[in-house]
Amino acid sequence: MTEPLLKINDLHVAFRQGRTMVPAVQGASLAVYPGQTVAIVGESGSGKSTTAHAIIGLLPGTGQVTDGEILFEGRDIAHASKKDIVAVRGSKIGLVPQDPMSNLNPLYRVGKQIKEALEAAGIAKGKAADARVIELLEEAGLPDAERRAKQFPHEFSGGMRQRALIAMGLAARPKLLIADEPTSALDVTVQKQILDHLDQLTDDLGVAVLLITHDLGLAAERADHLVVMYKGRVVESGPALQILQHPQHPYSQRLIKSAPSLASQRLLSQQRAEVREQAQEVAEVLADEVAQGDTQFGEGLDVVVEAKGLTKVFPIPGGAPWKKSEFTAVDDVSFQLKRGTTLAIVGESGSGKSTVAQMVLDLLKPTSGTVEFDGVDISTLRGKKEQLAFRRQVQPVFQNPYASLDPMYSIYRSIEEPLRTHKIGTGAEREARIRDLLDKVSLPWAVSRRFPNELSGGQRQRVAVARALALQPEVVILDEAVSALDVLVQAQILSLLADLQAELGLSYLFITHDLAVVRQIADDVLVMERGKLVEHASVDEVFSNPRQEYTRRLLDAIPGGSIELSR
Amino acid sequence: MAWYIIRRILQAVPVVLGATLLIYALVFLRPGDPIVALFGDKPVSEAVRAQIEAQYNFDKPFLVQWLLFLKGALTLDLGLSFSGQPVIDLIARAFPVTIKLAFMALVIESVLGIAAGFYAGIKRGKLFDSTMLVVSLLVIAVPIFVFGFLMQLVFGVKLAWAPVTVGGDASFTRLLIPAFVLGLVSFAYVLRLTRTSMIENLTADHVRTARAKGLTDGQVNRRHVLRNSLIPVVTYLGADLGTLMAGAIVTEGIFNVPGVGNLAWRAIQQGETPTIVSVVTVMVLIYVVMSLLVDLLYAWLDPRIRYA
Repeated sequence: MTEPLLKINDLHVAFRQGRTMVPAVQGASLAVYPGQTVAIVGESGSGKSTTAHAIIGLLPGTGQVTDGEILFEGRDIAHASKKDIVAVRGSKIGLVPQDPMSNLNPLYRVGKQIKEALEAAGIAKGKAADARVIELLEEAGLPDAERRAKQFPHEFSGGMRQRALIAMGLAARPKLLIADEPTSALDVTVQKQILDHLDQLTDDLGVAVLLITHDLGLAAERADHLVVMYKGRVVESGPALQILQHPQHPYSQRLIKSAPSLASQRLLSQQRAEVREQAQEVAEVLADEVAQGDTQFGEGLDVVVEAKGLTKVFPIPGGAPWKKSEFTAVDDVSFQLKRGTTLAIVGESGSGKSTVAQMVLDLLKPTSGTVEFDGVDISTLRGKKEQLAFRRQVQPVFQNPYASLDPMYSIYRSIEEPLRTHKIGTGAEREARIRDLLDKVSLPWAVSRRFPNELSGGQRQRVAVARALALQPEVVILDEAVSALDVLVQAQILSLLADLQAELGLSYLFITHDLAVVRQIADDVLVMERGKLVEHASVDEVFSNPRQEYTRRLLDAIPGGSIELSR
Repeated sequence: MAWYIIRRILQAVPVVLGATLLIYALVFLRPGDPIVALFGDKPVSEAVRAQIEAQYNFDKPFLVQWLLFLKGALTLDLGLSFSGQPVIDLIARAFPVTIKLAFMALVIESVLGIAAGFYAGIKRGKLFDSTMLVVSLLVIAVPIFVFGFLMQLVFGVKLAWAPVTVGGDASFTRLLIPAFVLGLVSFAYVLRLTRTSMIENLTADHVRTARAKGLTDGQVNRRHVLRNSLIPVVTYLGADLGTLMAGAIVTEGIFNVPGVGNLAWRAIQQGETPTIVSVVTVMVLIYVVMSLLVDLLYAWLDPRIRYA
């Protein structure tokens, strides 16, 4: 039996807060053998990233190792001198960090930043290093490396930056590469390409990889060995397939059950059909009311939102006054959203899906084409009264619950704001309504007096949903509403959205880059690529029989999609 | 880029017009009669008064005065001061002195401020950092003339290392102490700005990545933290150079420096409209050029910024 390359024994890490030490990792143990890929899986706050940073002695702020040891090639590096740990960094242990956008220094050329790694490890200098940088970038799969090395990070796309960071992490040929959520900020298709490439590279070079991820599907697909962390502790570890098929710890079981990429397809389509049936029944009753009454907005049609030939062209600023350049973000997109159903718009970043959402919300005027809400063309709305009547029926929930709630507003005030704006009810009536809303999104009443920074991401997103529902809209536009959330929280919010849809007969326009979650919530799918609509079909069709090459690529890219689970 | 510069220069036209008009209006509305002030206690005969009024266009409505000034300014004829010298000569004598003083102050404040701010930022919360925070607060809180007189007393009078005032000979050594006093307040701001910026950048993701590459702390701090931290500092320094050039009335007054501040101060006291407006026009032009240079420098420092 070979010796492990990295062995962590009973590691404890804590952060100082005033006089107390707040533990972040409490007794983590794991081993990585030469050439092996080990994945640490867990939700945010589980201590997985902290463990990774402890290994290379780069704990942020007041963090410190309080107990345990980190043995690298048999030497304890947790208690090594500063000089020794600096010598290990880069040359023995490489790091591929999480967010490619913030991990390159914006002021230096990409090539120079990789060259620094070579010089720090004492591998090459000057001209020789420059030549080596180009080889490394080529090796990391960056075309036209010679020119690219001379560019600045802002001239790179996210995927290209991540390739540069991989080149940097592997520059000094380390024995261990720590990959901290290396692709979670990237589109699924790019994610797949980069991970495939990283797999191949580390295999060829015989580098061991410690992969940190929240995505169980991805971990199972890429790693030989899984370590599941929960609240600073390792709750389970073992061969990847074994954990996936026979999880022992209740937390691992929950993780596997909620991972959208792993969940069983048949079960989901049945549940979805039930939700849709209920929602459509309720929606029909509502539509009848709208059709018969004359106080409400719209005509009570079956198709609640219809987009016809939506196009948005943005002018590109700059250049001489007589030279005009333009960018077509959305190109002739048409669709119908049926009452009580969910239409998902799927695409990579830059595909124009969020621009469509903004036009449907009437936050952005289309260059050409129309959006009809319940038979009324929204571009014909005149005056504040008609605008308000329309806004009442269409409400948004955005991606980032940290940014979409005003930090200075209490939760009560945030949910009350739409009611106030639309002058609905007296103070007492509004309070009753907010109680009801919080109840609907399963939050306790006590939350109403708190502020956004006191809530978790999932709780905040529930608040955002409650706020969207305050005006009893017919349509809710969910723009990447679950993308920023951990798997477990994501599953909770998705099931909450389904319950609300069945109960209130809501229609959803669900915008996402992640095809995996689409199966849990949507009935029809629109696939967009570079502003154009490339496929429009029902969920089952898209998943069982995708017609477009692009859709197939998106499906293939879902991590862990092909792994069989025993049930 | 060329278009950007042309646009920026064109923007200076309304700025100069607005600023000179405003000054004309203010001088016009100012209480007191400059001609009476000119003659002190002696009475002014009607004939002399009429002649002076005609010479300086005081007899015309102020809008006309302003237009006549603009017409002259276009041909570099800025009129005469009350003492009969061409205003353009006064400016040509005062500005070189002020430019020299301003650059000396700028070098002093940036070198000391950035060095102290760099070190304080790295050693956050330690003795040096706390001391610097107290010192900079003191410098900001105490009025500048206090430091001026204090330095004059210590170095000029007691130790006699430097002349008490500058006077006619504005040489490098004579300007050293006034430049130090002039740069003192900005030194405190540069220090604080550098320090805050350093602390912010020390926790940046790319700095952690640089450490993970195996760079030593010194290399990381110099290459990745300091350079990124200098971007806001440079913006501040550029704007500050404009302020320093526009004259330091208090400092120039204390040390009797024959610069723009002194010239403007005397002209304002005597209500010499042509001199005041001419000096202000040059100051406005300097401001406009300086802020354009800062923006261009900014683009050079930060490759993400491209003007078009």
